[in-house]
Amino acid sequence: MSFFSVSDLTAGYGPRPVLEQIAFSLEAGKILGILGANGSGKTTLLKAVCGILPHAGRCTLKDIQLEGLQPRQLARLCGYIPQRSGITIDIPALEVVLMGFNPQLGLLEHPTACMREKAREALALAGLAGREQENYLHFSEGQKQLCILARTLVSGSSLLLLDEPESALDFQYRYRTMQLLRNWVREKERAVLAALHDPLLALNSCDSLLVLANGRVQALLSPAGDPPEEMERQLSAVYGAVSLHRCTDRSGRHQWVMLKEPESSDRKRGSL
Amino acid sequence: MGLPTVKSDKTGLFCAAGAALLAALAAFSLFTGKYPLTLEGLLSGDAMQLRVFWTLRVSRTLVGAAGGFALGAAGFVYQTVFRNPLASPDVIGVSSGASAGAAAGILFLSGAGAVTAASFAGALAAVALALGLSALDRSGRHSTIVLAGIAVHALAQTALMCLKLTADPERELASIEYWIMGSLNGISGYSIGGNLALCTACVVVLFLLHRQLLLLSAEEGEARMLGVSVGRLRLAVLLAATLAVSCVVSLSGLISFVGLLAPHGARLLTRRNGPGTMLLGGLLGGILLTGADILARSVAATELPVSIFTSLLGAPFLIFLVIKGRKAV
Repeated sequence: MSFFSVSDLTAGYGPRPVLEQIAFSLEAGKILGILGANGSGKTTLLKAVCGILPHAGRCTLKDIQLEGLQPRQLARLCGYIPQRSGITIDIPALEVVLMGFNPQLGLLEHPTACMREKAREALALAGLAGREQENYLHFSEGQKQLCILARTLVSGSSLLLLDEPESALDFQYRYRTMQLLRNWVREKERAVLAALHDPLLALNSCDSLLVLANGRVQALLSPAGDPPEEMERQLSAVYGAVSLHRCTDRSGRHQWVMLKEPESSDRKRGSL
Repeated sequence: MGLPTVKSDKTGLFCAAGAALLAALAAFSLFTGKYPLTLEGLLSGDAMQLRVFWTLRVSRTLVGAAGGFALGAAGFVYQTVFRNPLASPDVIGVSSGASAGAAAGILFLSGAGAVTAASFAGALAAVALALGLSALDRSGRHSTIVLAGIAVHALAQTALMCLKLTADPERELASIEYWIMGSLNGISGYSIGGNLALCTACVVVLFLLHRQLLLLSAEEGEARMLGVSVGRLRLAVLLAATLAVSCVVSLSGLISFVGLLAPHGARLLTRRNGPGTMLLGGLLGGILLTGADILARSVAATELPVSIFTSLLGAPFLIFLVIKGRKAV
């Protein structure tokens, strides 16, 4: 039995399903990236796993079926970062992070001093050290994403469901965030499922990639092991013609570089 | 990423000042009114003065301060839960339910507490109907609550209109209109006990649930994934806030603006949403209502509706805060 598995998942917003018959599994200690064009169902998949969207099929984490769990039980198992947080009131950043402890607290309980300390550490880890008392609403979109990431990291859950957590981050913080997740997932019994905006980031920091197209799983790639030609073909199906190249950084680590190639139709048009 | 200066938290200071001002206004309110009271008279045991003091002035001041507090705190809750700065208990039709109930009470019932009881029942019926209708939508969007509230509001207005048509224009219609304008006149020690007790209990519940209120202010899916049973919690919080408001308006009639203005004032002053801000919202509500009631009793030979003064005092204050807030940013 895998750590986390999804089988026969069908979900959508109206009568027409956005996702059909999705199935995959994820081992503990791994980061699975979800890639796909706009509207391919990345967000829908995450919302369905969270139970925010009604769906058919089942999601199983550590032999527990997620459907039918109470919000509190579910929140203890899974943490979720939406594309944009809906917080619209003036509130200090530290209070936002402390929301992450809610599943561990009774209805009338308040966060302990130890939790406050942990929240402060998480903010520092996310790159917002010393900014605990600043108004969350005055943060830039990227800083908001980091703050919400800190909130998710303190929650003590086993599976993180992240919806483009890097979309508003600059180049440096994108890689820093993925490194943070990499460190987090190293602890036993943890995994990350992240819809990613940036295919290069996904290629270089995920253990495997779920490629969605037309509401179905088009491919499950593993950047470390799959032949480049095969990956190039699958990625071209999503992003149009691209080429993949393996480069070596100064520390000797292999990294993927993806280049946009002219479409065959563009070439024809150019010759006219 | 330059570090903007961190604004220090002055919530405690504002609350202390607010509490002091409310206490001063309440003390002043005890000695304001047609029948002159003096401290010497009360201390020397003047029977008439003591009776007026205990049955009329104390209860009226209590309703002014506590009722204003409840309206302010409930307004804070509504604005947070609906994520809308214009939300108020009127959103789910409380005021119109209370008005229709009061009108029915004036027309068909007699006795001291009849109008209060009838308007409380009307408010309660409106709340139950609005929240019950919204519970039919399983998806639990809060737009559903707003739409259900608008429907209930329209129904209650229609009921009120029908009741007014059947009323005798000389006496009953005038009483209905006067009730709707709102006044703390006629409140006496005999009629307020139950309302004040329930109102206090509801406000205490709201303060206890404060941390959950902040979670409800996030988006619904997000709140759910933070372990919040959004539908149930929102229902409980709205019920407590609305009950508190019903207790007040069934005693006083409609009071405009306090529930909207007091929480805004508290937010603009503190730039926060913690329990301290909610407390300050309540204190500002109490100050506004008590102050307005003092003016309603003292500016003219006859008593004036209190809503005139809550608006007259409140509107300039709100505009001042908004302009001041702009400059600070």
